[in-house]
Amino acid sequence: MNERSRGASFEEVALPLFDALYNYARWLTGDLTEAEDLVQETYLKGLKGFGSFTPGTNFRAWMYRILRNTFLTSRTGLRAVPPISIDEDPELLEQMTDEETPEWHLLQRRSGEALRQAIEGLSLPFREVLLLCDVEEMSYKEIAETLSIPVGTVTSRLMRARQKVRNALRGLK
Amino acid sequence: MSVHLTAEDIERFADGEAEERTIEEHLPECSRCASAVLAVMQMKRAIHEDMPRYSAPATLRARVMQTTRPRTAASWWFAAAAVIAIAVASAVLVRSRNAAMRELVDLHTTLLASANPVDVISTDRHTVKPWFEGRVPFAVPIPDLSATPFRLIGGRVVFWRRQPGAYLLLGKAAHRVSLFIFPDDVVPQSIAAPREITMEVWRSNGLAYVVVADIPAADLAPLRKAFGARI
Repeated sequence: MNERSRGASFEEVALPLFDALYNYARWLTGDLTEAEDLVQETYLKGLKGFGSFTPGTNFRAWMYRILRNTFLTSRTGLRAVPPISIDEDPELLEQMTDEETPEWHLLQRRSGEALRQAIEGLSLPFREVLLLCDVEEMSYKEIAETLSIPVGTVTSRLMRARQKVRNALRGLK
Repeated sequence: MSVHLTAEDIERFADGEAEERTIEEHLPECSRCASAVLAVMQMKRAIHEDMPRYSAPATLRARVMQTTRPRTAASWWFAAAAVIAIAVASAVLVRSRNAAMRELVDLHTTLLASANPVDVISTDRHTVKPWFEGRVPFAVPIPDLSATPFRLIGGRVVFWRRQPGAYLLLGKAAHRVSLFIFPDDVVPQSIAAPREITMEVWRSNGLAYVVVADIPAADLAPLRKAFGARI
């Protein structure tokens, strides 16, 4: 494969992801200009590194991973990640077995504003896993590839993220 | 199966990540687990619909395209790209369709197990029909069912995909049947019905009808006919 055909292929597979990647960048940075720079840098890195992309693996997750890694090494990104591990929390699973559906019914009818604030209030590792799953509709495997974490960690982070959102909506911490 | 699902199973199932038959078979029999799955699905849907989606500015797109645009294009790469794009798009679409219809099945199970499955209890269609006025944004057609094996038990308002719809609880001998009625455009055009329960969809006069029941699909024919199904 020569450089030209490589370029053609990159554009064709990468440009359909443009809006989704920009959306993700906005969520990560919370800033319009930073998001634009991040997307531009992602495409440049993607184009350069396309030769090392393994055909048959997930291209979408690959691009998201480039974007996220670029963000994490930026000044904003370095501030966004908690310095300690967030994946060990023994009290997690017990709380979740009793869902209170009627309560959620009520919450669902309220404005989306409360929900949005609850999600914006999550720390980055929880916010991104929730957005990749529920907004971008990625599979656990894709999320695991994007975030470079095991599938089991995706599952437990998602559960904890949702529990935090429920707590925030109920006015708990 | 009498053992309840774990919290992890519930979330994995709501996320479309659990393929185990045992989970699918358990849900119609257990209102507690069905309502837990429903709660997660409703939350997912709310997040999907309420989170703002930012569109990239045209200037950014133009800038990026300038740096990535090829000078020539190999045609087989276009084909490969199209295949990837279609595969990704269809996978996403199928996942969200399945999840949406799954929600109705869980709503059915949850409502049937509820102490008050309906808000208006009446076998008289002239009582149930006007009850919906002002509660849902369409006139709910309730035909005379006396010539069919089905009978009206009552109704309530349900929310699905953030839209209010009419729920009619019907009886057929000892079976209870859920009929959900929504504006036509709320219900996806092609649906993937779950395996473990009967689900039928038909459309008529701008409305879509979704029946969820534990009776064979063939037995629903008189109901479809009474509600004016357009094939």
